[in-house]
Amino acid sequence: MPETLQYFLMTWTQPQLLFLTAIGTFAGIYIGAIPGLSVTMAVSILISFTFSWEVNNALALMAGIYMGGVYGGSRTAILLNIPGAPSAIATALDGYPLAKKGLAGEAIGLSTTISTLGGFFGILILAIAAPFVSEFALRFQPRDYLLLAVMGLLLVGSLSGGSMAKGVFAGALGILLGSVGLDPLTAEERFTFGYTDLMTGISAIAIMIGMFGVSEALDQMHYLSMPAIKQRLTRIVPSWQDVKKHLPLGLRCSALGTFIGALPGTGGDIAALMAYDHAKRSTKNPEVPFGEGAKEGIVAPEAANNAAVGGAYIPMLTLGIPGDAVTAVIVGAMFVHGLNPGPLLMIERPEIFWFTVGTLTLATIFMFIFGMTGIKIFTKIVEWPKTVLLPVILLLSIVGCYAINNSVTDVWWMLGFGIIGYFMKTYGYQLGPVILGLILSRLIDDNWRRAIISEQESVVGLFTGIFMSPLSLFLFLTIVFLLFSQTKLWVKLKTRVLGRSAKDVTIDPTQV
Amino acid sequence: MDATPRKPGETGFNILLLLGSIFLFYQAYKIAGFSALSSPGAIPMAASAIMVITTCIIVVKEFARPKAEGGAKAFFTQILPFTIAVMCGLIILFAVVLQQLGFVLTGLAFLWVSIWFLQKRSPLSAALIALLCVFVIYVLFRLIFQVILPEGIIPERDIIASVKNFFAGAK
Repeated sequence: MPETLQYFLMTWTQPQLLFLTAIGTFAGIYIGAIPGLSVTMAVSILISFTFSWEVNNALALMAGIYMGGVYGGSRTAILLNIPGAPSAIATALDGYPLAKKGLAGEAIGLSTTISTLGGFFGILILAIAAPFVSEFALRFQPRDYLLLAVMGLLLVGSLSGGSMAKGVFAGALGILLGSVGLDPLTAEERFTFGYTDLMTGISAIAIMIGMFGVSEALDQMHYLSMPAIKQRLTRIVPSWQDVKKHLPLGLRCSALGTFIGALPGTGGDIAALMAYDHAKRSTKNPEVPFGEGAKEGIVAPEAANNAAVGGAYIPMLTLGIPGDAVTAVIVGAMFVHGLNPGPLLMIERPEIFWFTVGTLTLATIFMFIFGMTGIKIFTKIVEWPKTVLLPVILLLSIVGCYAINNSVTDVWWMLGFGIIGYFMKTYGYQLGPVILGLILSRLIDDNWRRAIISEQESVVGLFTGIFMSPLSLFLFLTIVFLLFSQTKLWVKLKTRVLGRSAKDVTIDPTQV
Repeated sequence: MDATPRKPGETGFNILLLLGSIFLFYQAYKIAGFSALSSPGAIPMAASAIMVITTCIIVVKEFARPKAEGGAKAFFTQILPFTIAVMCGLIILFAVVLQQLGFVLTGLAFLWVSIWFLQKRSPLSAALIALLCVFVIYVLFRLIFQVILPEGIIPERDIIASVKNFFAGAK
């Protein structure tokens, strides 16, 4: 126990780590708030600049950016009706109407308080659940890992509201890209086309920076002239009554957010939309109707998206399966630093786990402090012209990508995927599953081969194994359900059973 | 049935993805064929097969939607407008000369031209902003974070060393 506490307090007691977490959170709030800059983008560019650092420093900075960034999106959602990050789409629905009534300060204050609550809730669950999950995970069979990874890829495709076929395509593309190079088991060449450069594979970080840095920046060029709306902000500390009144909903949505975050593949954006939907269904008589400035409409998504941060760390640290796109990038960073997230990490390097929990807690506290202050500077920074911001992002993407291996080839890959990513994004493909597939590729490949070899290459044997184990069966049935839920038959069934077609919340991927 | 019209170039892009997926499937097949379920080619083949199937579904569904209007002109205004095409060109050019000329020069030139182009205001203000940005990035990443940036034709290390020596000598 004292050791655990020591690891937990590491960030709190070492000035350098404390400073990096603070800087990370502060930067995260602004990155999250500025439309066009995403946390995924920032973290993937940062990997290349921090890979020579000590691992703790890099992880502290990234945790701060992650926590701050998920919250920061709400600011611009409320003030400008432009969600700064996908996780704030739902916040804009009621936040902006509140701002139009001149209640922007109160809305920001409430969203800050509730985000902090959600953040703590998610971290608490992470601290309690992860040790159990990782102990349980030691008993996982290779086929379970395989099923979990496939489930994660399907979840992103089906829950995020876009086309399932496009989501699955993106995931498969990621898996394929991850398999380029020499096969780790047999050293056979895969997709190398005879080039020695390709034998070590395509740098995952180059692909990440391309897809989240370059393609995003190119996409933002469509919206160069977006006018900013000036807001007068008065009071931002929310009244105790307001907080107390919305506490039960906040807690419910925190729980929901943590759960969604903990599912492999799904993160804060989906959590926030589901929470908003939940608030709409469960609030019988809102003081103000939803969509016209209901406070419940801010509380629900803000609690859920920050709770999802802690949740997303659970599968990442215990199973090596990222909870969302940001944690997928962080897994990439951990690989770069020689760490191997998975059930053994908790046993071999418990300090990394408790250090992460401690850092996230600290980041949440900083988020609250920065959230309640500095609103005036905030509006100034958000008005930073995109005409300067976007070229700087492109420059950092290229230089950062070059810096990883001092390799121009990496830069070419990055640009290639940046341009492909831009077209994919434009035509409604999601890029999150590509990165998830890329990170999971090795895990899927290894575990498929282990699973099928242990059954002497017999598919019947594999399925017998699945049906004999409750866990495998559960995962398998979830996958079948996810696929089935996309069919017309399911829609018909649902309409018949519920008597109406259940209204689903959807994300428009082009919106952010 | 989805009745939103296709975006300009959408069909072409999806067909390209389909052809690319078929090519990759063939390449995956060549790794180990159908020799064993645990072969190194098994997962690549499965992944590329899924890519082929999903792109087929995407293309078929797309043909059911109304055609995009405006032809090539619409493509170059909605999907790849002049600004984005020029920026693509600029970043490719930047990547080509980065290693030879070094970060300071190419970075400065890239930022100056692109900010000037995007702002459509005076070249002088763009130059000042570019100078400031490159300075901040250089100090932050090269000097504080110690990231290796391509040096190129400016002998940065010598300059830094001589500046250090100068101050060391002054002591």
